[in-house]
Amino acid sequence: MTVGASSAATVAAAQRFQAAMPDMGASLLATQAMAAPGELLNLSLNASAVLPEAAVLLAMIATLLVDLAGEKVATRWVPPICYIGLGSSLVLLALQWNAPLEPSFLGAFLADNLAVAFRAVIALSTLLSLLISWRYAEKSGTPVGEYAAILLAATLGAMLLCGATDLVSVFISLETLSVASYLLSGYMKRDARSSEAALKYLLVGSAAAAVFLYGSSLLYGLSGSTSLDTIGLALQSSTTPLAALALVFVLATVAFKIAAVPFHQWTPDVYEGSPTPVVAFLSVGSKAAGFALALRILVGCFGAFDDQWKLLFTVLAVLSMTLGNVVALAQTSMKRMLAYSSIGQAGFVMIGMVCGTEDGFAAMVLYMAAYLFMNLGAFACIILFSIRTGSDRISDYAGLYQKDPLITLGLSLCLLSLGGIPPMLGFFGKIYLFFAGWANHQYLLVVVGLVTSVISIYYYISVIKMMVVKEPQEASDVVKAYPDVNWSLMGMQPLRVALIGCVAITAVGGILSNPLFQWANTAVAGTPLLQQAIALSSLKGLG
Amino acid sequence: MLLSLLLLIPFLGALALILWPGSPSSARLRDVSIVLLVMQCLASFALLLPFDAADAGLQLVEQARWVRAIGLDYALALDGLSLPLVLMNGVLCLVAAISSRTIENRPRVYFALLLVISGAVNGAFLAQNLLLFFLFYELELIPLWLLIAVWGGANRAYAATKFLIVTAVSGVLILGAFLGIAFVTGTMDFSLRPILAGELGMTTQLVLMGALLIGFGIKIPLFPFHTWLPDAHTEASTPVSVLLAGVLLKLGTYGLLRFCLGLFPDAWQVAAPWLAGWAAISVLYGSLAAIAQSDMKRMVAYSSVGHMGYVLLAAAAATPLGLMGALFQMVSHGLISGVLFLVVGVVYAQTGTRDLNVLRGLLNPQRGLPLTGSLMIIGVMASAGIPGMAGFISEFLIFRGSLQPFPLATLLSMVGSGLTAVYFLLLVNRAFFGRLAIAPGEVVNPRILNRVALREQAPAIALSLGVLVLGLAPELLSNLSEAATTGLSLITGDMS
Repeated sequence: MTVGASSAATVAAAQRFQAAMPDMGASLLATQAMAAPGELLNLSLNASAVLPEAAVLLAMIATLLVDLAGEKVATRWVPPICYIGLGSSLVLLALQWNAPLEPSFLGAFLADNLAVAFRAVIALSTLLSLLISWRYAEKSGTPVGEYAAILLAATLGAMLLCGATDLVSVFISLETLSVASYLLSGYMKRDARSSEAALKYLLVGSAAAAVFLYGSSLLYGLSGSTSLDTIGLALQSSTTPLAALALVFVLATVAFKIAAVPFHQWTPDVYEGSPTPVVAFLSVGSKAAGFALALRILVGCFGAFDDQWKLLFTVLAVLSMTLGNVVALAQTSMKRMLAYSSIGQAGFVMIGMVCGTEDGFAAMVLYMAAYLFMNLGAFACIILFSIRTGSDRISDYAGLYQKDPLITLGLSLCLLSLGGIPPMLGFFGKIYLFFAGWANHQYLLVVVGLVTSVISIYYYISVIKMMVVKEPQEASDVVKAYPDVNWSLMGMQPLRVALIGCVAITAVGGILSNPLFQWANTAVAGTPLLQQAIALSSLKGLG
Repeated sequence: MLLSLLLLIPFLGALALILWPGSPSSARLRDVSIVLLVMQCLASFALLLPFDAADAGLQLVEQARWVRAIGLDYALALDGLSLPLVLMNGVLCLVAAISSRTIENRPRVYFALLLVISGAVNGAFLAQNLLLFFLFYELELIPLWLLIAVWGGANRAYAATKFLIVTAVSGVLILGAFLGIAFVTGTMDFSLRPILAGELGMTTQLVLMGALLIGFGIKIPLFPFHTWLPDAHTEASTPVSVLLAGVLLKLGTYGLLRFCLGLFPDAWQVAAPWLAGWAAISVLYGSLAAIAQSDMKRMVAYSSVGHMGYVLLAAAAATPLGLMGALFQMVSHGLISGVLFLVVGVVYAQTGTRDLNVLRGLLNPQRGLPLTGSLMIIGVMASAGIPGMAGFISEFLIFRGSLQPFPLATLLSMVGSGLTAVYFLLLVNRAFFGRLAIAPGEVVNPRILNRVALREQAPAIALSLGVLVLGLAPELLSNLSEAATTGLSLITGDMS
């Protein structure tokens, strides 16, 4: 039953995808027809830009095909197929790094360094999420094949979203990501909370999509084009109230995707109800795509409304940091706590975006990458804990250090990193954000960020206190009955690899973070869109 | 390379302890960490050889780029201000490891954390980059939190969390001020450079310096930011208390001298009268609060609040003599509070209580703790500033150095110094003199206390010897730092 329902939905998503394709082509041609005829000829298809996505797509199709051969075959072959697909996708992305820029699909997609960086973050987050999900899926009796296929579909959408430079391609990839995410969050359909999560996510997400479409239609009406570049140019000459309205609509969608307060209400419920590996992907991959979208649309299109969207974003960032970190204090469920913490973390990342400087954007990219490792490391630990104990309550972690030093150490390091304690990776990321914010005179944001960091230390530490400080006699019943560690079960080795990898990078990556900083700076330097925005804002600063 | 060695030995040592194969016994781990800390101690004393005391500037500079994008450099250097503190850190960390005899609960983690703290403190004293200092300053936070929270007394969770949150606030204030310094002056790197008079408006300077003052004031701690200290001390085990009072509080006073006074000389001069007043209040409050305590450890903790106030007083005066006194006070307080906490630890281990209403006659030569009592009396005398001990030298230097600029605050602080004698006499009189009794009403059949082996007293004896040596030959220390403290002072020609 599950197989049928989910596959049907996937197919529906795919059909929707295909159905939209001709529209995009038609509208593009219509747009371009208005331009000089010579320009159209210059625009080649340049399909090689989406080769990384093609690798993911092939892996997805292969996964679906293998799934037809039955659950046993799927369990055997799906993991390697996914590894190969995502691995080759990452290699192809590495090849695109710093490559000469050519718009592909008639200007609907651009593989600049920003897109490459964010797509790499997304592909890596999927890879790690998959590594930590096999055992979880096995244990919860979920069919592995379609689970992987839907997750790959979500990845595909998220990756395309990072490079999309046309309203139509933006919307299609956004919907591919969203529909796949709804399916994923409702994947444990025997669990009432999972269904609740999926329904809530679907309803709120659809509303957000509708709002985005409305905003897009306004933008199209104002500029007569769906290309983000053209819209940006058109908006510069006509800063009408209507354009401001479009800004608000588009911004609401972005805020929904990155779960910024007050568009966050779906997050705690969805995070709590969804399967944990899905939450891992949603909190990193989906969020990274949201930030890429924010950069493309707000920085790329609304240059003329610079002050307005920055003001709105400042408000969102302050609210997110405050509410996310304060409400996280009161949580008793680990997943809910991480949900609120992720809201707060998104607020920190927004500081970089509001700055709009070279350092600001680089800090954003860097923090996303750091967040990938520390958050997925934390999720790997809580998945491992819930596989062994079936519990997700913070109080059940009491006294864990004695039974499971690996989880204790890994989770402690990742949470300290999320809290920004040196010498973890998160400390360097956070310092860079505050550094960029202060350099750009965003004092309010930096001060709120500093204060809420202290608050966040409190709740991260309280988990560590549970695990480390509680003596064996104070241990929870769950921990007292902790099963022996058995790594030979199916899917345990990948989980271990992902956990140790993430924790090692989180712990050592900070001290050796110079390459990461260079990578983030190159990502910004190799992106014309951001360079323009930087030049504009520095001109403004001078004037 | 010598300075990096002071970081490498403890950090790599901590890693080695964590990765030590098998399940080594507590005694074995303690031996290994003692060897490591002896090496660190020797390395820090080896700094005396290349160190040129006549040079007020930075010496043995080590500079390497680390994370260029945020202006974080690996820049270490030594001067007359940091050298004595590094030496003291080496000695006190060794003392802490030696006196950690009874660690049966997770000894591996305990000694690793001890090593991390000693490395982080070395780093903070040597760092010549604001961010690097901040990194080391924050690095010591979690290990100390764990040391209190896991190996502490009954109410340890509360005390440890209070310590953590309050210190994290201090860290945030310091980071904010450092960011401000870097960008307001437009240097963008976080190198230490005094802010010149015309460079920055006085209001901005005062705001930045104020943030630093509160940040370090929490750490020192000064009234009214001191409330975490008595709790932390009461709950911490003896070696951790020694570290906390001897080394970690000095990060605050060091920061006060190095960053508040050193970076904002002009703003400092404006704020100095207020700071002197604050110092006097802190001294009086700490001393009066100490009188009211019945727990020996809390009393010593409040005496720390008072004695750290002297450092602020001397720093406010910023005369060469006063600053020398401030540095002297930091070192002598480190040694004296080490003695006091060790002795209190022995008393607690033997009698199971620290309550001054219960303890009586511990000095009893047959059945009490005569040697412990003698050490306590030495520590108390040194703390109260009896001539011939290090405490006298530092208090004399501080009061002599600050009397001229701030007569009233100095006189009030002198009253505080007199109060030190009052509360410590109360302590000695109640706990050590009189007839031996474990509980009130138990005088009829007094319990005989076990002899304390001499080797268990060795750390306290060594520290008391240090107190005496520095009291009789203060030039050992003052020669090292005279050039540096004179260079830091704002008023010249007051070396009479």
